[in-house]
Amino acid sequence: MATPENFVEVTIKEDTQLPDSRGKAIKEMLLMDHQINIGHVRVSLKYDITGDLSKSQLNKSVYELFADPIIEFATANSFLLDSREIFPQSPDLVIQVGFKPGVTDNAAHAALDGFNTLFPTLNGIDISCSKTYMFWGISSGVDPNDLAEKLYNPMIERVSISNKDMCLNRHWPKLDFPQRPTLVQQPSQTVNLEVTDEELIKISEKGLLALNLKEMKTIQENYRDPQVRSARKALGLPENAPTDAELECLAQTWSEHCSHKIFAAKIHHVDHETGEDVYIDSLFKTYIMKPTLDIQSKVDWLLSIFHDNSGVIAWNDSWSLCIKAETHNSPSALDPYGGAMTGIVGVNRDILGTGLGARPIANTDVFCFGPPDYSGRLPEGLFHPSRVFRGVHAGVRAGGNESGIPTINGAIVFDERYLGKPLVYCGTIGIMPRRLSDGRQSHSKTPQPGNIIYMVGGRVGSDGIHGATFSSLELTEDSPSSAVQIGDPITQKKMIDMILEARDLGLIQVITDNGAGGLSSSVGELAELTGGADLDLSAVPLKQPGLSKWEILVSESQERMTVGINSEDCEEFEKLAILHEVEATPVGKFTDSGAFVVRYGNETVAHLPISFLHDGCPQLQLESEWQTPHHNPILFPEADAIEMGQILSRLMARPNVASKEWWVRSYDHEVIAQSVIKPFCGINYDAPGDAAVIAPIQGNTQGAVISNGIVPRYSDIDSYAMAAASIDEALRNAVCVGVDLDLIAGLDNFCWPDPVESVKTPDGRYKLAQLVRANRALDEVCRAYNLPCISGKDSMKNDATLDGEKISVPPTLLFSLIGNHSDVRKAVSSDFKEVGDMIYLVGETHQELGASELAFMFRDESKGRSGIGGQVPQIDTSRNLSLYRSLTKAMSNELISSAHDCSDAGLAAAVAECCFGCNSGADLDISDLFNSDIKLDNWGALFGESLGRILVSIKPENSQIFEKLMEGHECNYLGTVKSDDNIRITSSKKMVLSASMSELRDSWKGTLNGGRD
Amino acid sequence: MIPKVAVLSGFGINCEMETIAVFEMAGAKADKIHVNKLVSRDINLEDYDIMAVPGGFSFGDHLGSGRLMGNRLRFGLREQVRNFVKSGKPVIGICNGFQVLVKMGLLPGDDDISFTQTASLALNDSGHYENRWVTLEFNSKSHCIWTKGMTRIRVPVRHGEGKFVTTDKKLLDAWSEAGQLVVKYVDPSSKYPSSSDKVLPYPISPNQSWRNIAGVCDPSGLVFGLMPHPEANHSTWLGATWTRENIEHGEGEGLQIFKNAVNYVTENF
Repeated sequence: MATPENFVEVTIKEDTQLPDSRGKAIKEMLLMDHQINIGHVRVSLKYDITGDLSKSQLNKSVYELFADPIIEFATANSFLLDSREIFPQSPDLVIQVGFKPGVTDNAAHAALDGFNTLFPTLNGIDISCSKTYMFWGISSGVDPNDLAEKLYNPMIERVSISNKDMCLNRHWPKLDFPQRPTLVQQPSQTVNLEVTDEELIKISEKGLLALNLKEMKTIQENYRDPQVRSARKALGLPENAPTDAELECLAQTWSEHCSHKIFAAKIHHVDHETGEDVYIDSLFKTYIMKPTLDIQSKVDWLLSIFHDNSGVIAWNDSWSLCIKAETHNSPSALDPYGGAMTGIVGVNRDILGTGLGARPIANTDVFCFGPPDYSGRLPEGLFHPSRVFRGVHAGVRAGGNESGIPTINGAIVFDERYLGKPLVYCGTIGIMPRRLSDGRQSHSKTPQPGNIIYMVGGRVGSDGIHGATFSSLELTEDSPSSAVQIGDPITQKKMIDMILEARDLGLIQVITDNGAGGLSSSVGELAELTGGADLDLSAVPLKQPGLSKWEILVSESQERMTVGINSEDCEEFEKLAILHEVEATPVGKFTDSGAFVVRYGNETVAHLPISFLHDGCPQLQLESEWQTPHHNPILFPEADAIEMGQILSRLMARPNVASKEWWVRSYDHEVIAQSVIKPFCGINYDAPGDAAVIAPIQGNTQGAVISNGIVPRYSDIDSYAMAAASIDEALRNAVCVGVDLDLIAGLDNFCWPDPVESVKTPDGRYKLAQLVRANRALDEVCRAYNLPCISGKDSMKNDATLDGEKISVPPTLLFSLIGNHSDVRKAVSSDFKEVGDMIYLVGETHQELGASELAFMFRDESKGRSGIGGQVPQIDTSRNLSLYRSLTKAMSNELISSAHDCSDAGLAAAVAECCFGCNSGADLDISDLFNSDIKLDNWGALFGESLGRILVSIKPENSQIFEKLMEGHECNYLGTVKSDDNIRITSSKKMVLSASMSELRDSWKGTLNGGRD
Repeated sequence: MIPKVAVLSGFGINCEMETIAVFEMAGAKADKIHVNKLVSRDINLEDYDIMAVPGGFSFGDHLGSGRLMGNRLRFGLREQVRNFVKSGKPVIGICNGFQVLVKMGLLPGDDDISFTQTASLALNDSGHYENRWVTLEFNSKSHCIWTKGMTRIRVPVRHGEGKFVTTDKKLLDAWSEAGQLVVKYVDPSSKYPSSSDKVLPYPISPNQSWRNIAGVCDPSGLVFGLMPHPEANHSTWLGATWTRENIEHGEGEGLQIFKNAVNYVTENF
């Protein structure tokens, strides 16, 4: 490794009015997450500079570029710590953290750009950036290596430590410049598949190909076909065996991640309860595509479904909206920050790659983590959930904020089974004009053979190789670090600006993003549209020379789009790229040859018939068996009204219910000036909103509603109920703000444990039956709600085996909804508005506490003695929908003052949340709720999670007309908003729950406060 | 006449759409202009009447927010910007745009337009980025043309580095004296006017800015910058608590700033 010739160190000029806030944040994090108490922490940045640079240039750069002359100190080629003026006292410990070679270093890229501004003629400079943490006042029990582990991730970073003795001797940490090792390009290999079955499996496993035996044998068979052989001979390719590039390309295209083999499988499903015994030919076609196509035949607003990077709906005559969500679970487990950041900027590219290019206008993020206060044993190789939480949050924050895309809505769910793999759902909403100025409809791609293929944006490196196939495998200690990347939002932002201008100029014929599988997938998929493509890997710009050909083909390096341009438009396209300082390189052309041909200069490295590439993967045959699981019943304690209040208080403190304000506030949720109903509402700006409402056309009052539903808990009893509840929750949230029920569309996003029976997964049949049941719910509920799924995604290997211990996530469906809002000025927020307003619960309450938040709390508090068994909430779609219609009508008549979803922890929690937004209390009588269900008791009435219920408040003068409008629906007047600090709930004249609002607020806000404010 | 506004874009600026919208609502014609088009002189800044540097995350805020964009302008557009200001045309920088103007020395600035940095925007005391609503109070004695006649508005802040500081406390007094401390964070429950120099508690002051400073102008009163986002409250339905208020829907509280500049140009050119 080369020693840098020059370096600059920078730190804040700390004084009482200018604290080192970075240092304080580290101190706080160590105390909160790791119970390590440090006296004082300082942070400095170090820039190592290689290349030919004069002394005067270096000196000029110090305060003209690296350091702020007003608030920072900087030194050039000497250590800050050697300056007595800045650090009079020697630290007890110094830890320097820098990236490993090849890992994206955004600060260094920015510094290099700044260097070019300062010295435009200077060439051959490279910069790397590292952070130095300095500690004073460390208690003797703290091991420096242990502390360092909290501050860096060995998968992507390096560390250098100076302990107390070294500090006294002024030996400061010193990381070398992260020079990439020189790579020598390997010649193309031929992979001999004429081997035993065991060998075939070995080839797949060793190469991280994630292909099963049947698939390997299908590939083997292809290369035995005499026609294939003679064609290959003519091309000068190995006749009877694939090249490494071909095998890699097939593995990417056929990966679970890209081709959704489980959803396409033929399933033999047996239900031991009902005796049902059937074959299902593709869950996707049967339960997702079919209902949507049936709805499409009845409406005119479903513009593009399933086949593109996101689903597109017509929003009005001029604009269409699109939506997509993806997960980035495996990378987020290995590197929470980078994994989550690439997740969000990746799904932004799905929007950019929809039709002829859509503008991302909003993000929605849903995370599932292990409990942040988890204190049990942590398998080797796993991060503590609080660290995963912090890292994922920081990654999504940076990715969203720096891209200028607001994070408008989301959720965070906690369960111990997400310890092995966190779920990181990143969703994006996009907008595009219905027609471009040249008359083309922007939701349809218009590729022609002869279009030039451009790779636009970032370069290709060795980062991100095998992401698609790796995510199709379970997580193990050996999971490769090359599958981890860090996003570069600014490179992408420049690219988005440029692409959207190119779209408006009519230059784009076809576009898609480079995500999983890199060029092999992006060019391979678009090749299907014209019937072929010819790609020259030697033209692809690289981050470093020496990458092997197959690596260039499959690398998932971020921030890249693949675009098809008419040859006569290339000059204008390239000019636009230069203006925006974006790299756009012609790398081939689309053809109608029937094959995806990959060359490296004159050498053909892959020749794959389009039909084999896209339709050759054999269908899986899977077994599914449903047996109703058994759970112990909930053991209810004796509790008077005060104790019920305390139970509510403990529920409000449960991470699933607790306020996420600290975390959500650090997302920009208002950029683009369109945010009507925000994540926070109420008088103190801290009460939780239900759905987001945006008005994306500046000054126009037509809106869009975005909401999410996710209730993985219910899978423990029945995944049908889980899926139904998720969909109902998404719709209920949208109803709460006044969605237009005639224009709603959904996104299904499944995250499942491996449901394929094997030695490693002996309960695969049950997990598959859970998937079948969730899909059936999706089919039935979406049909009933006229809520077509327009896009979706599945991630089917959410298991981790570490230390020989397998942790599987609970089957989880995230259902996201996008809908129209006819007039945002009539949107409704969740907070109670005024003292004296009348509170109603609409919808029926049943005795449904199975797998409720209350049940899980009693289970946790009793160390498992109390079970979670009981009736899980059931859905009645026609009853719900007709209620939702009446309620949204009341909203458009401006009769509703507030509306809030009744879900996690039931009515009692919903009342408390509405009161938070009004600094109020409430007096309620719930006696009437018992009319809907003779089995209902106080537990069920207060904390049950029956679907289809919304808590509303109205002005007293509107009560008569409101009640009339709600005739025929269950609509119970409960009481009024009070000015005092208490919630009092009575039933049959007896007080059943009494709680102080300020105590509830403290519990609710106390759990997930991420640090000092 | 309809004033023409140059709204800068590129390199991570990301509030250009709403900034254009708000100027057009205020009666101007606004164009999105990539910084490089000005540097290359494909477009002449002098053809415009107002320049706006919108919010965003130019260059990812690395090496200090606004720093690298400030350098691009300071080195690439020095004379164009100087001539623009010297000819008496208004300039606004919002959030990241304010950081850019401060880092390039245009704000609080000097009579010679020497591009010497005299203040900065440090990391919020909270240590992190935040999106939250604040109440701002305008200095009625300021000669800033952007804030004429304004008293208080509610707008969001969305930044990590918004703490206004300087090296020389005497400078603060001088700027105060000259009416350059245009806008401050204020306790919404206090009576107008009540802006003070004593730093208000978090989150009334979201970043613990010195003297609660949210925005400043240059000696001429033409160049104005602020951390909060007035363009994000261009319509009533974008407010934080509008669902609690009995309001007639229409113009948002932030729009007046832009109308002031448009009126100024209309009256003076």
